Amino acid sequence: MPASIVASVVFLKIQDFARRPATEQARLRAQLQAVVAVTAAEIPPAGRVMLDAADGAAIVVLDDPRAALRLAERALNAVAVGLPLSAGLNHGALQLAGRKGGEGMTGDGIAVAAAIAAFAGASRVLVSRSFRDAVAEARPGAEAPLASAGTFTDPGLRTHEVFTPNERALARRSRRYGFVGLVLVVVLVGAGVTMRSANPRQQPFVDAMIEKTVPYWRSLVRRVSY
Amino acid sequence: MAKSAKKIGRYKILGELGRGAMGVVYKAEDPNLDRIVALKTINLEKDTEGRAEYQKRFMLEAKAAGKLNHPNIVTTFDFGETDGVAYLAMELLEGTDLRKRVQQGSIPPIEAVEIACQIAEGLAYAHHRGIVHRDIKPGNIMLPERGPAKIMDFGLARMRLADHKTSTGIVLGTPRYMSPEQISGQPVDHRSDIFSLGIVVWEMLTGRRLFSGTEMAQVSHSITYDEHEPPTRVNPELPAMLDFVVARALKKDPAVRYQDADEMAADLHTCLAELRASEEGADAPGEGSKTVKLGDSGEPTVGAPPASAIATDTRLPVSRHFDSTVALKRLAKSQRTGRPARPVGFLRRIAYDTLPRRLFVVTALAAAAGSLIAFI
Repeated sequence: MPASIVASVVFLKIQDFARRPATEQARLRAQLQAVVAVTAAEIPPAGRVMLDAADGAAIVVLDDPRAALRLAERALNAVAVGLPLSAGLNHGALQLAGRKGGEGMTGDGIAVAAAIAAFAGASRVLVSRSFRDAVAEARPGAEAPLASAGTFTDPGLRTHEVFTPNERALARRSRRYGFVGLVLVVVLVGAGVTMRSANPRQQPFVDAMIEKTVPYWRSLVRRVSY
Repeated sequence: MAKSAKKIGRYKILGELGRGAMGVVYKAEDPNLDRIVALKTINLEKDTEGRAEYQKRFMLEAKAAGKLNHPNIVTTFDFGETDGVAYLAMELLEGTDLRKRVQQGSIPPIEAVEIACQIAEGLAYAHHRGIVHRDIKPGNIMLPERGPAKIMDFGLARMRLADHKTSTGIVLGTPRYMSPEQISGQPVDHRSDIFSLGIVVWEMLTGRRLFSGTEMAQVSHSITYDEHEPPTRVNPELPAMLDFVVARALKKDPAVRYQDADEMAADLHTCLAELRASEEGADAPGEGSKTVKLGDSGEPTVGAPPASAIATDTRLPVSRHFDSTVALKRLAKSQRTGRPARPVGFLRRIAYDTLPRRLFVVTALAAAAGSLIAFI
């Protein structure tokens, strides 16, 4: 029975590949292989499987989804050398297929990554919701730079929520947490003040504090003095 | 003055090795250690107004350069000043410099990448110690007859500062090999050396000048705005992976360039390993190898569908250009690898994610303060 795998898939797609002349296609494929060779070097050989597609390449990253994201972002730098790439990332189910010498892989993990890569424009990285969740699970908070980029419907009429790396998302999240923290502080402290002022029999806060704490400080000073 | 000297400091002059903008390089003998050295002199007379500052800077830079002890950096043995001439006693190397080598034409890819690796490693060592070269160019890279390539003149570019002391946007180094930030007179850091090394690598691979121009303004404009041609377009025989490394080193914006020379050296080592594997024409044996068959690299993939035609049951073949056997063996052995992502629990979120943790602490403190105010 074939092994059941859940892993991250980076699908690197060369944009408009089919419309290009054969010589250009050969050049782009060579460049893509070079890019994959350099960018995948940081992932140990036991942690990745390289797959071929007609207009790109899929890299199955078995262990750390964050490594998959780094790989995609580094590969997208290749746009500068005239390699129009887009990247789709997904975390999903895969299976080994084929016999020894002709191995391959199938599965929803690859299909969704390919659909996302086909949807993404040149030099864009898009990731699926499940990939974002996998990044969050690997390290809570690491998913924060992946900001929502909307939804799209693939050829199989499934709708996917997609995200894209965006450094500004970190600042936005930081501001949001700051604002929520401020509101909570105001509400909690304000509630305390309101409850106190609603009870006319209670002493003023400062007087009560002095009354409760001064004896403690006195005894402490006495103990230290002796 | 230095020209006619038979002795500079304690060094006995044996002959002249070359002349540059800053001074003369002599072959000299150190009588104390009975050692032959290259003695680089820097004339100080021209700059009487800021001489004290110049001397101070010279001493600081020479001292910093003297601390660099690395196989890819020419060793500075001694420095000093005598009769208006500052001098540096350096390791004397038999060989040629990279400039002469590039003038003869492009360098074979393996050799070029090997030199680039060595220079990147030398730069990484110096950068870790806070020293930026500022004038990486083929003329400052020595190719000894035996042994690895070595970087010369660490810190000397900065010593030229006194020549431009009245200007605000001070430009140091050799214009054709400067980074965009350096040529525009902005502050530079180690990433400027990485850009210069990118130019050197491009020129080694292509045998051509990258940013040429007869006037400074032309060169400056090219460096700042012109995108380089990928080396494979100039020389289609080159492997495409070098395009990627060169492009990253030559990014105009230092923030998206290689952030340290170690990173560039690591990529160059990967290129070198692949180039050697392709030259040997054999799949590298052993676990953990990763092989790109560069000769076949442009061939179409047989039986692989395009992205738009991939469905859940579509089989993608394992690439023949890379070795995935280790991972495939691992997958074949285990019945189950990985699992679907689960939502992150509250405690784990608080433990690992900084912002929720801070929010939790602030809320707890605010709740405590609120209770204190309400009930004390």
